[in-house]
Amino acid sequence: MAQSAHRQAAHMSASHVHATRMHTAHTQETHTKVPCTPAFHMGEKPSALAPSEQSHRSVYLDYAAATPLDPKVLEAMLPYFSEVFYNPSAAYQPARAVRQTIDQARARIGALCGARGQNIIFTAGATEANNLALTSVTGKVFVDAAEHDSILAAARVRDHYIGSVCADGMLHIEELVGILSELELISVELANGEVGTIQPIREISQLVSHERMRRLAAGDMRPLYLHTDASQAAGFLSVQLSSLGVDMMTLSAAKMYGPKQMGLLWVREGIQLHPLILGGGQEAGLRSGTENVPGIMGFATAFEIAVAARKSEAARLCALTRRIRKTLATDTRLGAVFLGPNSESQRLPHLVSVAFSGLEARRLLIGLEDRGVFVATGSACAASKMQVSHVLRALGVDDAVARGSIRITLGRQTTEQDVTYALDALREVVLLERA
Amino acid sequence: MLYERLYCSSVLEYPSTKNLLGYKNPLDQTKAQMNETTQITKDRDTMVDTVQTTAAIHTKPPRGASVFVGLSGGVDSALAAALLVEAGYQVTGIYMKNWSQDLPGFVCPWANDLADAERIAYKLHIKLDVWDCEKDYKSTVVDYLLDAYAKGLTPNPDVMCNQTIKFGTFLDRALAGGADYIATGHYAQLSTTTPSIQQTNSKHTTDKQQAYTEQTSGIQQIDQELPKLLRAADEHKDQTYFLWRVSAERLQHVLFPIGAIASKQEVRRLCAERKLGIEHKPDSDGICFIGPVGLRTFLLQTLSRKVGPIVEWETGKILGQHDGAFLFTVGQRKGLDLGGGPARYVVATDVVQNCVFVSAYKHCDALVLKDLTLADCCWVAGMPPAPGTYELRHRHTGALAAAKLEILDNTHAKIHYLADHEAVAPGQSVVVYDQTCCLGGGIVQPRPLPQRLCAIC
Repeated sequence: MAQSAHRQAAHMSASHVHATRMHTAHTQETHTKVPCTPAFHMGEKPSALAPSEQSHRSVYLDYAAATPLDPKVLEAMLPYFSEVFYNPSAAYQPARAVRQTIDQARARIGALCGARGQNIIFTAGATEANNLALTSVTGKVFVDAAEHDSILAAARVRDHYIGSVCADGMLHIEELVGILSELELISVELANGEVGTIQPIREISQLVSHERMRRLAAGDMRPLYLHTDASQAAGFLSVQLSSLGVDMMTLSAAKMYGPKQMGLLWVREGIQLHPLILGGGQEAGLRSGTENVPGIMGFATAFEIAVAARKSEAARLCALTRRIRKTLATDTRLGAVFLGPNSESQRLPHLVSVAFSGLEARRLLIGLEDRGVFVATGSACAASKMQVSHVLRALGVDDAVARGSIRITLGRQTTEQDVTYALDALREVVLLERA
Repeated sequence: MLYERLYCSSVLEYPSTKNLLGYKNPLDQTKAQMNETTQITKDRDTMVDTVQTTAAIHTKPPRGASVFVGLSGGVDSALAAALLVEAGYQVTGIYMKNWSQDLPGFVCPWANDLADAERIAYKLHIKLDVWDCEKDYKSTVVDYLLDAYAKGLTPNPDVMCNQTIKFGTFLDRALAGGADYIATGHYAQLSTTTPSIQQTNSKHTTDKQQAYTEQTSGIQQIDQELPKLLRAADEHKDQTYFLWRVSAERLQHVLFPIGAIASKQEVRRLCAERKLGIEHKPDSDGICFIGPVGLRTFLLQTLSRKVGPIVEWETGKILGQHDGAFLFTVGQRKGLDLGGGPARYVVATDVVQNCVFVSAYKHCDALVLKDLTLADCCWVAGMPPAPGTYELRHRHTGALAAAKLEILDNTHAKIHYLADHEAVAPGQSVVVYDQTCCLGGGIVQPRPLPQRLCAIC
């Protein structure tokens, strides 16, 4: 009661101050009669402000940046925030039950990619998993120039070699072969998140195993490992480890309708990693800190759903992106140029990277946003710094083209109607800018 | 002359209906009005009316003139751009990237501001260019700030930014890039003025002016059409305090589209009306490149801490220790850490001896001024005003204090307050007003320490 009276008093004195200010301003004005500039705020109705707020429809086409949590995933996570909150490291029965659930989740995830659960290290996102993977060697690391920032940044603080890529984003195998004998680790993503290029991981793994044989025969004891970041690919491509032939693999829950800040690194037995986070020794001492139990449970469920839906979803989205490409290519007024591989078998099915040469992608994004359509320009991080994305630069894309490039990524919620609407909006916005 | 050329060419390019009906060159009109005004004397209201008419001419360049507007991503510059577009100018938005450095605890918001500017430009259907001014900004604003603090001064970086960046680099580059004018979202107004108009101000001023002109006959006569810098319609947002180092010669290429709007509230309302989407963006106060982390954190990135004594002004007694005299400013109360006792104020600092002088008395002689010396003076009109009584402002939108202005030379002046005035930190700007007209100002000079205190440090 007293408090509310006090608040009221404060409010009253504030409005009193305001009134006094207004009064002063008024007298000042009449006294001095400063000139006004009629031209500026009595002009005609703003004609330039037309296109905004047309439709309330909202079409999200940036699934490569973030995916909405699947309701089933949320359901799987919920109990572990409240009822089943125990620290998995504690000694009593309910806590030990949580430990068991985590290990089961680990095994469930392993089963989806042909791995043993104990070889999976949970991390706070794919960035951390990538950083951890690069601690496996002290010698030279090979990465390609189109890798994610987390790989490039972690490689740059080590002895490294950055391999070039072709105009479609594909790694130059010959360049890798040329330097192979110097390397201890190769890190190449399974598929690129900006232009969708699927890298020839199996081919690289064959090179790696030949080189290992050669080293063994020559008594060369240096290791050679192959790591792949499959974060962007796992929803669309098989990540069977035996078939990929890699030694380490990164996955992210955030890209498959699971929680953010949840990633993992699978590591083949015998590879010695060096922890980035020290402490209580969780995750076999490689990632200390109490386990993110709801996150782990969410990850397992999200991965299961993604793998089950993979084939049909890939086919459905491929048909939609085919339509997007066809429509944009047909309208020559748009001047659309597609980035990344031409062949459908060499790129992610849900992704269209398209450039409108001479236009500013940032402006296209605003126009699309006004129409309720959300897409990306370059990669999210690069865009916020207003720089041309390093991936497009690596592809040798001309700056004028790169600046006009947008990335459209489709997902589970994207319908045929969404695509129709987004295409109309995009056409309208591009033509408006071209005018 | 550029000004003349603009108006003439505009008549050729934009034959308005007025022109068909015997439209006069606006320059001729101005001249005609000036002749009229010289005949009008004494009556202040008549004078103001005249200024108003001429101001309307100055602030109303021809439709289709090219205006480069500085878009910061904020409300004020957004509305400025919108009003210019609506008034029929050919508007180009420029985002000046002045600073992008993060500080511990403060992520520099430049990328977000640029995104907002981009959004505004898109909605207005104007082009937005990003101009990288970081090098100039660093050398003229940031280094100036650090240098001044190191010398024990309390500078106004905004004043420098306006002089060297916004109405320096930006203006030069805009004019070179084909702009007829630049515009900003400053709360200030412009009107054309001439010495002859000023002379009609009052009989008194005329005498002073004439007497002074005779004294300083060596000073070049100012251009006839240069504008006068006037306070904004909204006295609470008026930014002329930060514009005193911008010359009229530069201001003749400048438009302040929102200076006549009654209040910030109105500016926000007009933004909302135009659906620019930023009407709720909070005001950015303080030094833009420091943000909320505070000056201390910023200064300590570059300058080193150094222990020295806190000395009582009256007794010379050492009351405690501080960690660098450059970190303290006159009038400051916080951060002295004297462990109890009465609240004490910093009354002076000496960075050479690394001493901070404090007093518990608000009316301590060091905190009361009768006069003040200004150096590095700048006058909007290009020459000092006539000596006389003017109103002074010591901080942004601070109270106006009446004082006699004594002109020592082109860059030095002395002010004699009519009533005692509270102390002003050395390095601060003192801005001189004649009615609503901002004449210019100077930088407060440090005062020598009394002999009795020199021995202590």
